[in-house]
Amino acid sequence: MGNFELIWWVLALPVIGFLIQSLLGQRIVGLFGQTYGKKVAGTLAVLPIAAAFVLGAGLTLTLMDMPATSRSVVMTLFDWITVYSISIPFEVVIDPLSMTMVLVVTGIGSLIHLYATGYMAEERDYTRFFTYLNLFIAAMLILVLGNNLAMMFIGWEGVGLCSYLLIGFWYKDLANAKAANKAFITNRVGDWGFMLGMFAIVAFLGTNADRFPAGDGRYLSFDRMLPVLASLLSENPGIATLIALLLFVGAMGKSAQFPLYNWLPDAMAGPTPVSALIHAATMVTAGVVMVNRMHVVFEFSPVASGVVAVVGTFTALFAALIAFGQTDIKKVLAYSTVSQLGYMFVACGVGAYWAGMFHVVTHAFFKALLFLGSGAVIHAMSHEQDMRWYGNLRKYIPITTATMTVGWLAIIGVPYLFAGFYSKEAIIAAALGNHHATFLGGSTEFTGWLLLVGAALTTAYMTRMTLLTFGGAQGRWQQPETYEAAHADHHAHADHGHRAHAHHHGHAHDDPHGFFYTDEELARREALEPHEHHHHLTPDYKPKEVPVSMWVPLAVLALLSTGGTAYFMEHHHAFQHWLYPPFGGEHGTGLTMIKGHPVIDPEAISGHPHGMLGNKMALVGLSVAVMLIGLAYAWAVYGKRLPDKEGFDMSRWAKFRLWAMNQFGYDAFILKLLVYEGGKTVGNACAALDQKLVDGIVNLTGAVAQGLGGLARQAQTGYVRGYALVMLMGGVALLVYLVSALSGGAR
Amino acid sequence: MTGNNLADYLTLGLIMFSIGAVGVIVRRNPIVIFMCIELMLNAVNLTFLAFARFTPTSAALADRAESFMSGQMMVVFVMAVAAAEVAVGLGIIMAIYRLRNEIDIDEMNLLKG
Amino acid sequence: MNEPTGFGLVSVVTFLPLLGAIALMLLPKEFPNTHRYGALLISILTFGVSMVLYQRFDATTYHFQMTEFIPWIPQFGIHYRVGVDGLSIWLVMLTTFLSIISIWFSFYVSHRVKEYMVLLLVLETAMLGVFVSMDMILFYTFFEASLIPMYFLIAIWGGERRSYAANKFFIYTFAGSIFMLIGMIWMSGQYAGITGERSFAIADIQNLVAGGTFWSTAMHLQPLLFWAFTIAFLIKTPAFPFHTWLPDAHVEAPTAGSVILAGVLLKMGTYGFLRFVLPFFPDAVQKEAGKVVALAVIGILYGAIVAAMQTDVKKLIAYSSVAHMGFVLFGIFTLNHTGLVGASYQQLAHGISTGALFLMIGLLYERTHTRKFSDYGGLKAQMPVYSALFLIVMLSSVGLPGTNGFIGEFMALLGGFDTAAKGLYGIPFAYVVLAGAGVIFAAVYLLWMFQKVFYGPITNPDLKRLKDLKRWEVAMCGLLIVFVFWGGLHPNTFLKPMEPSIAAIRMMALNPEGDRPSWTNLETEIDRKGNLVQVTPRERAGDAWETVNVVVPANFYPESESEEPIIPRLTGEGVEPH
Repeated sequence: MGNFELIWWVLALPVIGFLIQSLLGQRIVGLFGQTYGKKVAGTLAVLPIAAAFVLGAGLTLTLMDMPATSRSVVMTLFDWITVYSISIPFEVVIDPLSMTMVLVVTGIGSLIHLYATGYMAEERDYTRFFTYLNLFIAAMLILVLGNNLAMMFIGWEGVGLCSYLLIGFWYKDLANAKAANKAFITNRVGDWGFMLGMFAIVAFLGTNADRFPAGDGRYLSFDRMLPVLASLLSENPGIATLIALLLFVGAMGKSAQFPLYNWLPDAMAGPTPVSALIHAATMVTAGVVMVNRMHVVFEFSPVASGVVAVVGTFTALFAALIAFGQTDIKKVLAYSTVSQLGYMFVACGVGAYWAGMFHVVTHAFFKALLFLGSGAVIHAMSHEQDMRWYGNLRKYIPITTATMTVGWLAIIGVPYLFAGFYSKEAIIAAALGNHHATFLGGSTEFTGWLLLVGAALTTAYMTRMTLLTFGGAQGRWQQPETYEAAHADHHAHADHGHRAHAHHHGHAHDDPHGFFYTDEELARREALEPHEHHHHLTPDYKPKEVPVSMWVPLAVLALLSTGGTAYFMEHHHAFQHWLYPPFGGEHGTGLTMIKGHPVIDPEAISGHPHGMLGNKMALVGLSVAVMLIGLAYAWAVYGKRLPDKEGFDMSRWAKFRLWAMNQFGYDAFILKLLVYEGGKTVGNACAALDQKLVDGIVNLTGAVAQGLGGLARQAQTGYVRGYALVMLMGGVALLVYLVSALSGGAR
Repeated sequence: MTGNNLADYLTLGLIMFSIGAVGVIVRRNPIVIFMCIELMLNAVNLTFLAFARFTPTSAALADRAESFMSGQMMVVFVMAVAAAEVAVGLGIIMAIYRLRNEIDIDEMNLLKG
Repeated sequence: MNEPTGFGLVSVVTFLPLLGAIALMLLPKEFPNTHRYGALLISILTFGVSMVLYQRFDATTYHFQMTEFIPWIPQFGIHYRVGVDGLSIWLVMLTTFLSIISIWFSFYVSHRVKEYMVLLLVLETAMLGVFVSMDMILFYTFFEASLIPMYFLIAIWGGERRSYAANKFFIYTFAGSIFMLIGMIWMSGQYAGITGERSFAIADIQNLVAGGTFWSTAMHLQPLLFWAFTIAFLIKTPAFPFHTWLPDAHVEAPTAGSVILAGVLLKMGTYGFLRFVLPFFPDAVQKEAGKVVALAVIGILYGAIVAAMQTDVKKLIAYSSVAHMGFVLFGIFTLNHTGLVGASYQQLAHGISTGALFLMIGLLYERTHTRKFSDYGGLKAQMPVYSALFLIVMLSSVGLPGTNGFIGEFMALLGGFDTAAKGLYGIPFAYVVLAGAGVIFAAVYLLWMFQKVFYGPITNPDLKRLKDLKRWEVAMCGLLIVFVFWGGLHPNTFLKPMEPSIAAIRMMALNPEGDRPSWTNLETEIDRKGNLVQVTPRERAGDAWETVNVVVPANFYPESESEEPIIPRLTGEGVEPH
């Protein structure tokens, strides 16, 4: 038991890394000089994450050695929020689910950190980048390790913050800043649902506080909450549906499901390692992790599960279609991520939670690989991201080509040899054999068939991307006439011109407080500022292979993306039973307590088998068939007649692709509805209301008082004798009254 | 003129007070206004003294000074106040004169609302 | 309780700034640095004494502690009664703390330094007086006295429309509290009618209310009196639609004035709800809570939407205050324990984070003399330290978990959900869902502001000359940021001492007559589980006590009263937890 204390180090190491980078980073770079300083700082950023991975692996091994019934250890650091009515400690849980994610986060995290030391080497704000990245790892670990929903929420919003900061990393371009805002705000919509879900759980459990040990208000702690929920929700599926749907709104935001998906493609504005780590491998899978954690609730609500499955299916297909229209290599991968996340949610919806997690892991491998590979391509292509200018890159960057090919084969699901096959197969099998989720009163089996269609689409667009990038006989940037023509208007926007305009006031400021730079200091500062070159490709450009720090992670991830790892995870249900041990449950309920932590055998608890497609070989056949269809289509369109179809003239684009590129108008519609028109209208109306009506009434009251005063002031002539006369008359009147009253009174 | 009748003194006081009051209201020269105020104050003084003189003192109150001296005492007070008032008032008039170079009361309407 | 005690620690804290102000007044104005350092020294000293006050504070009781009683106007039952309880101790600390910050920042003031510092110190005394008063007239005196220095701060050192803003601020809040004064006089009259002697003591009147005798003859007047007090505090808070003085006052006020205004003055309103409205008008509170919560929800959304439309940084933050104080109001009138504690916590959090926002905007304004978004952009490259600090403060205002802004909003909403889900106190479920949406809007306008000021290229060439913050400025902001994280990561430091008092106030409002806790009855206490218990008799508040028996058990999750509650009570027949 004792060594589980090490989990605090797993959490603390990224935090230490964060503190080093944020407080000392600049100094380290300054101390060792730009080149070596960055290397030292980069090493200091990678090491804590790698060390956390080693510790996490050790803890996982310890956990594996324990009997399945005791694989749940709750560790409490301190009381976070403790009031009479509720208690939320700062606590973590070490169990198969959390440790799986710890390994994914720190493992892939350290690889991507390593990659980033190379990718970001020329960046001026090098340490700022690693500050955010280390903070992200810390937040993500809190998310997956937290033993209560509130702690999960710390991580949940923490990773959202890091995502915001990293999308806006190159903040001088306002488009990036706007993409960052969009990501944060869309995520907040999800967080709103997440919070309400938490509140619903507390409100529900609060009235059943007698089911808790006396004086223990840990309503949000998984080890307390889930058993009680498991025993109470069976009676009230309505509440299960409410809680499940609210939580799923949170998952939709974080995991980019329709209708909250549209921040993720914009998030590609961040540096590519960020896209790989946050927007593909780890953060966006948080929703799946959360659904797995809270699967008890979903288990009791076939309706909510059906919604999850259908939303997942729709997102998977919708994003896959959009991916066809993208020309930016990272955007293709972004929509691919959205689509794959849809697959994971289908798995969760149909009750095969483990399959969702399985896909989280394999997807983390191959999607991180693809993103890092695309980063290598972009790096090699002098920051050109438009695939239409790629082509024949296999000749120039062989290592990248080889590793990315592995990623491509993994995502299209080449049977048995590559990782994607196993997890995708498990999901489709579960969806086809589903008896759990219902949608509009009917079965959700159709999700499985639609996912097969999605698999064909996935194969097609990923093949398109691969062919456009690496295929072809000649690189398209080498065809100068087309390239220059297409970039002609781009040049106008390049920010070369800005600096010329920035003339400065030469006059000496009146500056008693020392707020401003003197002219000399200013000149020195400007001299230090690196001149930002706007790279663009010239026809004689030769792409170069990436440095070793970048291709080593690629190779490792390529290795992980092959079938070997996934085979061992799938073999004999190893991964499924690691997450969800098949106990059958006490009293036949399917609920097994692992040291107060419930683990549910989904099939046993809901009283009916969730099912898997019986004939697995038939499914393999189907999968191979759809894959071949996709391959054939892509090969026909992009392999054979590439320049014609993927022409550089926008007017020759198929209407569908243009439509797909614009997300079928969804994003524009939402922006118009909520921001540009609807939001502005409501905002202006409210602002006007505030000025005119609410404040108007206040000012009117003042004006009325002033008006009455104005009337009264007519009497104030300013002539003293006028006042004296009035006074005299008053005195006489008073006298007359008194005399008459007195004499009257005497009578 | 019997000189021995309370009403006569009061009548004289009333006439003096009225003249003073009208003077305060109609005159524009502050010096004259001051004189009129003095007139009003003295009318009041006269009234005080007349009442003091003609109020019958009962035997029970004979020992107590205030029973027959209070009127006279008030007069002393009024005269003191009048002197103070004139001093302050003339001071103000001097200050205004220095500021504006004229002392026409109609020009002093800063109190106008 | 009615024995004269002489002055004690509470009075020292309260009047130390005033004494300092008098001392500064005697010094010639030709030495501005003397006044600056003198005022800073006095405020630090006051903070030090308030630390001693906190040290001696007993967190196990809901009663007033360190009470002082000095006869003042015995004919009317008005006396100098002061003391602190869990509700006020943190507000006292917040006031003394923010006073240091605002005086420190005011080193930048160069116009009429002496008067400025004197006014800030007088203001500190007035604010402290509000939080320690146990007598209604004393409270009212301080409540109004705080307007005067603030009026001058705005009217003399303010911006272009300073006299408009100062007048509006003064007249609006003053007019509101007239109703409260009338209410107070009526309350004391009613007290006299029942007991035969006049008293303006909060505890005396509450004692009668707790026993049920106070309203027995005047039940029909209770809603009227409720609204008399509530209007005054709604204006002060400020809640929609009484908020329009706030943006004007904030925009025109000098930075220190804005910090104090947002940090402390607004808390007087919400403090008033907890100190007067809930204990005094239990029946009306339960009946009218829904209406006040409606105003709070409108304030949350409306403040956020209007904030998003502003082009002036200070105005934006002012409207954000309307939204954030809406959460406080929301939490109070959900009448749920979690919500009430959250609301009380949100008072502190808002004081720190919004105070810090105004401070940081002030630092920038000292340099650039503009508050318009259009004059900014790209500051992140120019002032990295400043932008990092600003980011932290902004995130605290957004309510990011891990910062203090999260705790209060989270708890207030949590309490609100529970109340609404059970259909209690006329609070519909939609209110909570809408109030929750307020957290989305908070992100919208604050991130938008951050983008406008810090992101993008530098378009205004003047900004190119800006140096980053100086060391002492970083230290000043750092002081506030310490509390941002302390409050976010270990809120228990702040929650624990206030909790018994809050629980007692909630019971005063919700328990049936006769079962309500009373501030004068030292034989009742709130125990560590939140039950109202009878305890061994004590000499005075603050002494240790032992439980004799439970009078009213805590009921934090009351059962539903409505026909179709969203969250009903269930008794599941599943597996028992082990």
